[in-house]
Amino acid sequence: MIEVKYFGAIAEKTQCSFENVVSSNISLQNLLKDLEAKYKFESISFSVAVNQKIVSKTTDYTLKTSDIVALLPPFAGG
Amino acid sequence: MNASSRYNRQIILPEIGETGQYKLLKSKVLIIGAGGLGAVILPYLAAAGVGEIGIVDDDVVELSNLQRQVIYKSSSVGKYKVEEAKAMIAALNPDVKVNAIAKKLSGKNAISLFEKYDIVVDATDNLQIKYLINDACLITDKPMVYGSIFRFQGQVSVFNYQNGPTYRCLYPDENSSSVNCTDAGVIGISVGIIGMLQANEVIKMILETGEILSGKILVYNVLNNEQQKYDFEKSDSFVIDRSTFEEKYSQKENRVEEISAEAVLDQIDNEAVLFLDVRNEDELPKITFRNSLQIPLINLENEIEKLDSNQTIYVFCQSAIRSKIAVELLQKMNFKNLKSVEGGALALKPLLEEKVIVRD
Repeated sequence: MIEVKYFGAIAEKTQCSFENVVSSNISLQNLLKDLEAKYKFESISFSVAVNQKIVSKTTDYTLKTSDIVALLPPFAGG
Repeated sequence: MNASSRYNRQIILPEIGETGQYKLLKSKVLIIGAGGLGAVILPYLAAAGVGEIGIVDDDVVELSNLQRQVIYKSSSVGKYKVEEAKAMIAALNPDVKVNAIAKKLSGKNAISLFEKYDIVVDATDNLQIKYLINDACLITDKPMVYGSIFRFQGQVSVFNYQNGPTYRCLYPDENSSSVNCTDAGVIGISVGIIGMLQANEVIKMILETGEILSGKILVYNVLNNEQQKYDFEKSDSFVIDRSTFEEKYSQKENRVEEISAEAVLDQIDNEAVLFLDVRNEDELPKITFRNSLQIPLINLENEIEKLDSNQTIYVFCQSAIRSKIAVELLQKMNFKNLKSVEGGALALKPLLEEKVIVRD
């Protein structure tokens, strides 16, 4: 199981702050593609972290069970 | 100045001492934005004895600001935020020199402003300005203390600290969008917590103590008190120097400001505004009223002496294409207060007919 955390405007789209994705051997790129199809993030940009480290969205990485992915959009309030 | 008694409680901290207090007094911090974040960062830095603080904001205090911008009073409404902030700090700690800068930060003033300070604090509510602050910090080699809010969540980081990663390394997509507090809503306490974390980073940098949030973004959720830190690395994909900076930001600032036809109608009796019709004389419907003047676009440069470059001018044409060209032309000739009327004469006409001003 892979845990995905959501923040800011992304969490408003998903209507939850985290969820567990039951997939094994899925690539990070495919996970992001699936989430985009499911939630339609559209114009909301975000950075992606795997295990507390920001990585490129196009990085070639196969997610492992127990990996934690986070979607971090920029905030603009102040 | 009776420094030892004012600052006694912090001087007795081994991490500060007389040396640390002297560092605070000698430091210069620039805060961009005197809103929710700025209103927390400013008094805490001033109370701690930061010697010189610049604060940049061209807004006036509004009633809806007071639930979170706690340094202002009900009687501040309608007054410049930076002036009110300066008066508040003068009463709090006369050791601190406050530079109240009632201007919008722009590509034109950012670099010369940043050069006068040691640390720049981003207390703005606008993504585009964050890129401007980031880029100007890169050029002037200043650390940028970032903070921002989305509803009950906040982010804090320090960019460009000792050549560390920048805002662009974390968020390379400059064209992204995110809502601010006006649109999303916010409670004062969330802004207060994030502003306080920013002030804490500033003080640690000055005192050269603790660990700076460089290459890390802290995300705080006030509803469940969860906080997470994410690491990010410096990316070399963005390079900027003074000339590319100027090119990039001067273009953005010359864009044409627009005003809606409805808003124009409210100003129609305002003698301080000139309504400039840049259509040809044979174009219908004719629109003339007390403060209107017709100079066809093609004649504008030759008849420029008919206009006062300090006057507020609302430019219109048939459908707001030529009026934008006219505004750009006038901007190049140093006219300052210009707006193009959205929809032009075709939008104005039905509104004016209701007011019975059109002579057709």
